[in-house]
Amino acid sequence: MKTVRIVLASVVLLGFGISAAAHHSAANQDFGKRVELEGVIKLWEIANPHGRVILKVTDAKGTRDVEFETHSRNNVYRAGYRDGMVKSGDKIKISIAPNRDGSDGGYITGFVTAKGERVGN
Amino acid sequence: MLARLFQLVLVAGLFASPGFGQANTRPDFSGVWTNYRAPGEAAGRGARGGGAQAELPYTAEAKRKTEEYQALVRPTGDTPGGYCLGTGMPGSMLGSGGYPMEIIQRADQITIIYEAHNEIRRVYFGNRILPVADRLSERNGYSTGRWEGNTLIVETAQLTELVSQRFAHSDQARIVERYSLTEEAGQKVLTAEMTLTDPAFYTKPVSETKRWSIVPNGFLMTYECNEPIWSKRLEELRKTPPPARGQN
Repeated sequence: MKTVRIVLASVVLLGFGISAAAHHSAANQDFGKRVELEGVIKLWEIANPHGRVILKVTDAKGTRDVEFETHSRNNVYRAGYRDGMVKSGDKIKISIAPNRDGSDGGYITGFVTAKGERVGN
Repeated sequence: MLARLFQLVLVAGLFASPGFGQANTRPDFSGVWTNYRAPGEAAGRGARGGGAQAELPYTAEAKRKTEEYQALVRPTGDTPGGYCLGTGMPGSMLGSGGYPMEIIQRADQITIIYEAHNEIRRVYFGNRILPVADRLSERNGYSTGRWEGNTLIVETAQLTELVSQRFAHSDQARIVERYSLTEEAGQKVLTAEMTLTDPAFYTKPVSETKRWSIVPNGFLMTYECNEPIWSKRLEELRKTPPPARGQN
């Protein structure tokens, strides 16, 4: 598996988690937990202050669209993301801090693209 | 003869340049800085002190205002940053390093750029300092600088009242930062000792120390933040186009 590495002002090499907690209120997501899941990208919007991702997810609860949040564009970039790395329709594996109330969605702390490129953790 | 004249002009020009004899002998804080980490420590470590934060000596007024604010935002987790609003002092300074900070130093002005939300502070010296009556209050206040030996003293006032950060404060707050430069195993380390005085919000001054490590050849990125809001607005306009100008 190819791991994207960067040599930059390295502030977030532990994934997005630390800075997420510093910048983002952890009220709604549990950053002490990690959940892995897979889906197909329907929307991939990496922006500041936070990104927005919608995946088509299939699991025991069925197939549905689930919305997730990501860290800021700047921090996702520093963790290795580059424009064009993923596109709509791609399969993707993500790690999330799940919603505290158990509902669908959460905060993406890392992902692995269909090409095997890992960003965050 | 001409060569001698040229030398004299050159030397005179050197002495006439702004800040000569001062800036050249001061510590140079220029560069990109991230949260302090000990030499050899992995990036991201040491960014946070951890543990419970000490309770602040708020006045009754400050306690009421901060509790009202917390009750408002706690259920949703809303933060100013989530709405593209910078933290304001002293949070902008104390929180910098998670996102890097850049310092550009001149003899008459030091410019500090915090990457998060593109917050910028300008520390003025000497003739560039505006009279108090001409200063505009803002979230990061108005900052003036002076040197005590190799220590940079930054005094900040003209702050707006902020209850959305750890060191909540009124518009009467005054912040003093003492910046000094050291070296650890060949690594430049910047330390700021901050003291906030605000009789309206605190029964006594409060202090905090912040440290940063240099990022050799580091750079900041622009923190574009309002683009999604603008895109959303355009989508709204597409769905419900407004009447053309001049029409009702």
